[in-house]
Parts: sequence; structure tokens; C-alpha cells
Amino acid sequence: MSAPVEDRREEWDGPVPVPTGATEPFWEATLEGALRYQECDCGNRQLYPRAVCTACGAEDPPFEESEGVGTIYTYTTCHVPGEPGFGDRTPYVVGAVELAEGPRLLALIDAEPTELAVGSPVAVTFWRVSDEAAIPVFVPE
Amino acid sequence: MAEPILAGVAESDLGETPDRNWLDNAAIATVRALDDAGCTLAEVDGVAVAGGDDYMPALILSEYLDLDEPSFLEGTEIGGSSFEHFCGHVRDAMARDEADVVVVAYGSTSKTGPSDDRSLEVTHPVDGFVRPTGLFRPPGAYAMAARRHMHEYGTTEEQLAEIAVSTREWASMNPKAAQREPITVDDVLESRPIADPFNLLDCCLVSDGGGAVVLVSEEKARDIDVPPIAVAGVASTSTHRQDVSEMPDMTTTGAAVTGPKAFEQAGITHDDVDVAEIYDSFTYTALVTLEDLGFCEKGAGGEFVSGGTTAPGGELPMNTQGGGLSYCHPGHFGVFVLIEAVRQLRGDYTGDRQVDDAAVAVAHGTGGLLSSSSTVVLRREA
Repeated sequence: MSAPVEDRREEWDGPVPVPTGATEPFWEATLEGALRYQECDCGNRQLYPRAVCTACGAEDPPFEESEGVGTIYTYTTCHVPGEPGFGDRTPYVVGAVELAEGPRLLALIDAEPTELAVGSPVAVTFWRVSDEAAIPVFVPE
Repeated sequence: MAEPILAGVAESDLGETPDRNWLDNAAIATVRALDDAGCTLAEVDGVAVAGGDDYMPALILSEYLDLDEPSFLEGTEIGGSSFEHFCGHVRDAMARDEADVVVVAYGSTSKTGPSDDRSLEVTHPVDGFVRPTGLFRPPGAYAMAARRHMHEYGTTEEQLAEIAVSTREWASMNPKAAQREPITVDDVLESRPIADPFNLLDCCLVSDGGGAVVLVSEEKARDIDVPPIAVAGVASTSTHRQDVSEMPDMTTTGAAVTGPKAFEQAGITHDDVDVAEIYDSFTYTALVTLEDLGFCEKGAGGEFVSGGTTAPGGELPMNTQGGGLSYCHPGHFGVFVLIEAVRQLRGDYTGDRQVDDAAVAVAHGTGGLLSSSSTVVLRREA
């Protein structure tokens, strides 16, 4: 899979993730439009990336590439900005996306709230917000 | 096992305390609670503190109060449920004769204090997955859980609003409550949108202030001749922390685990509960906790709270001081939940404010983003 990566470095005033440790392979892939999750040899799948498998304790479980699609588990429309740099964006939608592979991911949803419901299908896109990271942003499919 | 006695409770001044810091408020609440218990600072041999704007708050409060080598120190930080959680540790410490007079304290300047200045470079690995979403926390996180509950069980915004309305009815009788004007369901629905499905009146206040409770051993309680309000059951757990999408099931909280444990320890059933003091950071927090504690079936919380069930004169008096929604909310509300439960069991009030012949209370704390749960059962001994 390779999802669109939009360069938003100029206009982004919000927090930017700094890749460290176990999260480095995740953020590196985002620059190429790929969404990764960890899938341990024991079969456990997890996000956010961690140094250990939460099922069997194996260290540094390997990454797999997600199809980048899922459904909205739930969402909210923020009428009050929750972070610096979000004032001009208000109101905006944040959701918990259940990926087709299983793990859930908190993400900005680039859609009008009226277009969404719990269970709506969404697909990942990326906004590049720094030299090191592009954040996953989901859009209705 | 010997049960500690909740011998004294107090708030510091609430609302806006621009000339105080968290420590002042925690200390003022502590000395007032000791006075309420008929104990002196010199008798304190244990301190439990959560919150506060400083590292090692238990040590800082001990120094500030010039305590003489306290033998019990606690600072476990599990957010708003920390104080309920402490009750279990105090019970264990007293069973070991480690302490006789323990202060559980909290203070903050959530309203007038400096706001945190957050860096835009998110180096914490987990926060790197959360903060760039812009989610307004905590309201947005609780709102996401509430929406899921609405989806699964048909819970409505009107039903959530019923909690704010009933809670305000209690607040109208509390001179210390910040908001005392009666409100209607429509007032809640028409208040300013914050994070859907929450409007302003679904959300707790932001206050300065502190609170403290004094727990004493059974032996000490006999010496000071206090109304015997015992910690009869206590249990804690957590489900997640920073990322609400990590919550295994957003419609079920840790209270589903801690409630049955605490009830079993205390040897009570729901019919025995006379008053419920349930952390209400948001209307949904109280609703889902009532379900998880077993006061109604899972998913039936909306129906349960409709029609004044938790209001004055209702079947289950809840948040009888006006709750975090209308009385005060200086950040970690859990200490105030305990304070009010004790006052109701002692029969400190008059008229409609006092729950008739209250003998058993449930005090429940919630911390983080629906992350931690601690349930305490309090019982007035004969």
C-alpha cells in the first residue's frame, strides 16, 4: 500500500512526533505513505509501537504493513482546540480507527462530522508535519 | 481485618485562590480535617498525597507541615482515583501497626495557576501518537467513549443531561457549590458545544482548592471518640492511560472490576447502599460508572438516571454535594468524593440535603481518561 502523503510542513503549527526507539520504523514508513503495525511471531498485533510484545513479552516485535483501511470505532468533534496550533482548525474531528488488521489508532479524521458515523469505513492518508514524520489522517472511503 | 476509621474531613477554600499554591491548599485542608477529627498535627504519622504541581508531593507536604518522621508515606499517582486507592494502603499499613493517624490530602490551583506550557516537539513515544491528533483532553476522550456508548446502547444526550440536572439540584443546597442555579435538560443541550456529544454543562468545573481526609486506626478512634465511619471495602484497577483508543472496551470501565471486589469485601449488596458519591468529571463518567458498579444493567444507565433517580428524594442519592459538575473540580476530584460520603454517613446535614439514615456509602474515583478506577465502601458502625 502507498497512501497519499501531503506536505504540510509549512502550515503545520501543531505538535510533531519525534521518532525514538521502537517508534522509529513506524514514523520512517509514514514518509513513504505506509502505515505499519507490529505483528509478533506469537500472532499478537499492536499499535502504538513498543519495545515488547504485550502478549508474549518478546522484545522488538517486527513490523507489518497495514492495508490502511478500517472503520470508525468512535469519534468526537472538538469545538475547543486541544493542542497548540489547532485554533484555526476548530471544529475538527478526532477518531479511534479500528484497522482491518485489528489494532486501533487515534487519529485526526479529515471529514465533516455529518459525513461520519460509528462504523464508517475510512482510509489513511498522511500529512507530513516535519522532516521526520507524517501523521496518519483518515478520510471517508 | 481491622478497618480504618475516617475521622475527619475538610476542604480548603474553593473556587479561586490566587494567593495560594497547591501546597497551601493541601495544607489548609489537612489542618482543617485534623481539627474535624479532634487530632493534632503532632499526632500525624502518615501522609498520602497525589496531584500537586511538584515532584514527590508526599515529601513536600510532610516538610511543609514539619511532620516528625512519618512512618507511612504514599504518593501513588493514579489521577482522580488516587485517594480511594490510598484507603486500601492505609488499611494495610494500620493492620501492620505502621501508622495510627494518616492524612490523605490534595491541593491545586487548576483555575488560577499557570497553565502548562507544552512543547510542540513530542518526544514521549506514546504522546507522539496522541498529541498530533489535537484531541482536546480530557473532554474529547470521554466524549469518544460516550459516543460509543450511545452507538451500542442507544443512550441519548438527553439522558446524559439528566445527570447534570440532578447533580445541580443537590448543588442548589450546598453553599460551597460554585453553581447553584437550577438547570433543565434543555439548558444542558443548548450550552456551548465542547466535544460532541458533550456541551459545557456535561463537563466538570475548573476550580482551585484542596481537600483532605484523616484516617485513624480503630484504637485511635476510641481515644478521640469520633463517629465511626469505617473503610469496609476498597479495590483499584486501570485499563489504559494516555491513549483512550487503547481502552479495551470504551463502554466498560475498571469499575466493573473494582465494584464487585469492594462490595464483596464489605459484605454488602446494592440494596444496602444509601448514598453514592461517584466521580463525575463528565456526565458520562457517572453514567458508565453506575452501570459498571452494578446499580443497573450494562447499557441501561441512560434509563436509570432519567426521572430524578439520583436527585434529592430519588432512589439512589448521588453526588449530594453537587459533584464535579456543579460544586468544585480542582483536578483530582477523588478526595471530595470521600469527604462528602463521610459527611452523609455522619448525618452532618439537615433537611433535604441529608440522606435519611445513611449507613452505607459508595465512594468511587476515576482517574486519567477513564483510565483508573477505585471503589471504596464506607459504613457507619453501630
